[in-house]
Amino acid sequence: MAKTADVIIIGSGIIGCATAYYLAKKGRTVIVLDQNDTVGNGGSARNGGGVRQSGRDKRELPLMMFGIKYLWQNLSEELGTDVEYMQKGNLRLGKTEEHLRILSRLAENARACGLDVSMVSGAEAREICPYLSDEVIGASWCPTDGHANPLTTTLGYYKNARRLGVQFYTGESVTALRKYQGKIRYVVTQNQVFEAQQVLVAAGYESREILKSVGIDIPMSKLLLETLVTEAQPPMFYQMLGTATADFYGHQSKHGSFVFGGSSGLEAVRRDFASDASTNLTASYISRAIIRYFPVLSDVKIVRTWAGWIDECVDGVPVLSDTPEVPGLVIACGFTGHGFGIGPAAGYVLAQLLAEETPSVDLSAFRYDRFRAKF
Amino acid sequence: MKEHENLRVKPIQWHSEPDDDLIICRCEEITKGEIRKAVCDGMVTIKEIRRYLRTGMGLCQGQTCGKLVKGIVAKELGVKPDDLEPATGRAPVRPVEMQVLGKESEE
Amino acid sequence: MKRYDMIIVGAGPAGLSAAVEAAKHGMCVAVFDENAKPGGQLFKQIHKFFGSKEHQAKVRGFRIGEALLKQANELGVEVLLNAVVTGIYADKEVIVRHNDTVRHVKGDTILVATGASENMIAFPGWTLPGVMGAGAAQTMINLHGVLPGKRVLMVGSGNVGLVVSYQLMQCGCELVGIVDVAKKIGGYGVHAAKIARCGVPFYMGHTIVRAEGTDHVTGVVIGEVDEAYQCISGTEKQLDVDTVCIAVGLSPMSQLLDMAGCQMQTVSAKGGTVPVCNADGETSVEGLYVAGDVSGIEEASSAMIEGRIAAISAARKLGYLGEAPASEEISKLQASLEALRQGMFAPGNRGKIIEQTEEGIRISNSLLTKGYLEEQEIERFPGFHTQKGIHPVIECTQNIPCNPCQDVCPRHCIMVGDNITALPVVDENSACSGCGLCVASCSGQAIFLVNDSYDQTHASVTIPYEFLPLPAVGTIGVALDRSGNPVCEAEVLSVKANPAFDKTNLLTMKVPKEMSQKARFFAVKSSEQKG
Repeated sequence: MAKTADVIIIGSGIIGCATAYYLAKKGRTVIVLDQNDTVGNGGSARNGGGVRQSGRDKRELPLMMFGIKYLWQNLSEELGTDVEYMQKGNLRLGKTEEHLRILSRLAENARACGLDVSMVSGAEAREICPYLSDEVIGASWCPTDGHANPLTTTLGYYKNARRLGVQFYTGESVTALRKYQGKIRYVVTQNQVFEAQQVLVAAGYESREILKSVGIDIPMSKLLLETLVTEAQPPMFYQMLGTATADFYGHQSKHGSFVFGGSSGLEAVRRDFASDASTNLTASYISRAIIRYFPVLSDVKIVRTWAGWIDECVDGVPVLSDTPEVPGLVIACGFTGHGFGIGPAAGYVLAQLLAEETPSVDLSAFRYDRFRAKF
Repeated sequence: MKEHENLRVKPIQWHSEPDDDLIICRCEEITKGEIRKAVCDGMVTIKEIRRYLRTGMGLCQGQTCGKLVKGIVAKELGVKPDDLEPATGRAPVRPVEMQVLGKESEE
Repeated sequence: MKRYDMIIVGAGPAGLSAAVEAAKHGMCVAVFDENAKPGGQLFKQIHKFFGSKEHQAKVRGFRIGEALLKQANELGVEVLLNAVVTGIYADKEVIVRHNDTVRHVKGDTILVATGASENMIAFPGWTLPGVMGAGAAQTMINLHGVLPGKRVLMVGSGNVGLVVSYQLMQCGCELVGIVDVAKKIGGYGVHAAKIARCGVPFYMGHTIVRAEGTDHVTGVVIGEVDEAYQCISGTEKQLDVDTVCIAVGLSPMSQLLDMAGCQMQTVSAKGGTVPVCNADGETSVEGLYVAGDVSGIEEASSAMIEGRIAAISAARKLGYLGEAPASEEISKLQASLEALRQGMFAPGNRGKIIEQTEEGIRISNSLLTKGYLEEQEIERFPGFHTQKGIHPVIECTQNIPCNPCQDVCPRHCIMVGDNITALPVVDENSACSGCGLCVASCSGQAIFLVNDSYDQTHASVTIPYEFLPLPAVGTIGVALDRSGNPVCEAEVLSVKANPAFDKTNLLTMKVPKEMSQKARFFAVKSSEQKG
């Protein structure tokens, strides 16, 4: 007999776990499936932990601002898990006039959406973060940005969803979705069949293969991004950091270690799209990038590096959408590497969508059928 | 891993044990009780335990506590330690200073 | 980028053996080791190895290391020390940290021979200074000349625990006891016997309950365990120690292989997580080999052979050695490896209870639980016999692959045969000259020369003696029996330190005739010994 629930969620990342949690709170029965043996083993376990609004596409901003205003503040208490959320602001650093032009443009866009982002001088930036090198000539500053621990956040949602009765099946690789009398009905895995009136596909890039079985495609590509972590250091600064050209980003965690990420520029031409092994070049590159901004960290040791796939949507923002052509199916993918900070809010509104309530934030910019050719 | 499926669905009741305050992961100062509690909270793979608690994520990267943690988790779950997938090996195998890692040569 | 025929990670027994073999066939080899000195664990192995001549039996480990290193240097192998391989990447690229840079190099083949790390057990107080791995203690004494403490408790009765216990005693530490939750001693009986006859107690079926102290170890409490290995209340014993050595097994250091994408498996019998590999040691990543403890915990002797097999296999792959000679050489080495993997302690016998020798002789329970043979038990083993005049008494009662005693006897008095795990048999028709080569060659220090007719009332007993200072001829001390109990007065008749004995000195003592099958050790003063 098929295992049944009100909603089946495919993917146990932060999106899947948060949605499951908020749905369970509404009294819905939920089954979460993941192809991996470990919960949240995709991007949710591998990202840099940014919880930021600045630098985001303006289509994403309202949802992100909603999350920061209503969800992140009390998330540790709500989940009974320290998600290590720190709202100490975000500095996006610039070293050249060109950098400053990019930053000013981003700041202007953000202000237009009602976000407090200002431009600060190099000296002002060093007042906020005294460890910055003299090479920094200016920065954008968003005081309401921050960071959190993606591992405990995802697993905190999982823990609480499970406590509320959500059933998690790991090691369950979904092979197909099946409709019944015009509506979504079955989720077929390698081992068994699950049944529900509603299905949420939140499986990162793998969503594409799953959605294919019901004739839907989301145009996205798969990129491997790399991250590293240092040994613990005494508290130094807690701002989230980024750069105008996105050559690296990172922060010091509550634990004391620094988490840094960055892209070498070679990601898109990777030979091996099957393995998630780190590359030979990126960790060295990230280290050099950090030292140029923070010479004080030169002798700090890297203890671990890792890599994770992002599902990069062709237009840079995710799909958060129901699908009238397949009633009961909801899609959440294409988060493009910024799915963690927005994760709680996305889970919150997806739960509303699945519960047939009006989402707290307008989701029309995230329709699954928005993609068009150039003209 | 069938056991894990069932264990994720079937909660384990927490009970304290006299040596719960024993430190198991020395680098991150994680106790046996914290590990046992994490299993009760649903962390049933070594990766989940590491990510939830930070065991084996410190300077020695689990060289010392890896087997100890595995033993505790396996006992709590009622499975054999060998049935638990080990933590993933990641570079650098030994900690490296950023300025060294940043200085590459091919000679 | 610099490209080598073979990059070897780890300059221990497996890595160095592979380097020598590969270089012999003309391969361009680089060896990287994270330590300041090469040799891995070999240079701290001051004891004599087991096996047969081809396995370099009766040679001390560090001498094997020195010889390997010399050979490697002569063949022009590049051995880079303080060189930490931090990762293995696509296309067999290796990143090695040396001084203040990271170097990128590639190998057409790579051999990972990174060895193992020590297991720990957690008990209250295990994080106190003074609690350490037995291997760490061995590094301190044998490489750095530093005593870890004065009074030591050893936890674990496997070969590492036994060998390190003996070496700590040689350095002047007092060994307070050996504790093991197992009911039976895990290591070679001969290793246990040489400790037991110094008076060290074995606490089998015991666990360490806690280490005491605030900023360092000042004592321990041990106790007997029940079937679930929990301490039985009321059996606790307090012991006065300042050091606790943990010898509870090793784990392969296989992270680099996982990182390189090798298919991995976790196998208790191999000590943990190891790569899946074929008979040549080649992993699921073509051209990436493993040898030694990283592929499954064994001995240095087998690691050296595995290293050579991997090197020959790589030489064949890269065209430095033809198919036929390579296969022939590999078959020979595999046979030699197989010979080492025989006997009671063979990897396949791990965890099995063995009650009889291959010859069908009942194993001594006393040896397995207390570390020594009862006097009346010796007689059922073929190494024991009585005859007029001087003759060897071989107290070798377990099937271990080892035969130097047979090889060194100039008069062919000792027979092991082609099956090198067989117990040595003393031939009653051959005349022993009392040269003592067998005594000194026995890596287990299990051979004694007994002469029941030294004079009217006395016998002489020659024992292997590896403690300093050597007692002077004429010293009157006490003879200890196999359990370390003083049994009678003994006079030192001679102490021979022939170079051929390689520092296993032959101490001959005069004891009353009836003590010739009891006296097995000599102590200068009875007060210095327990019991």
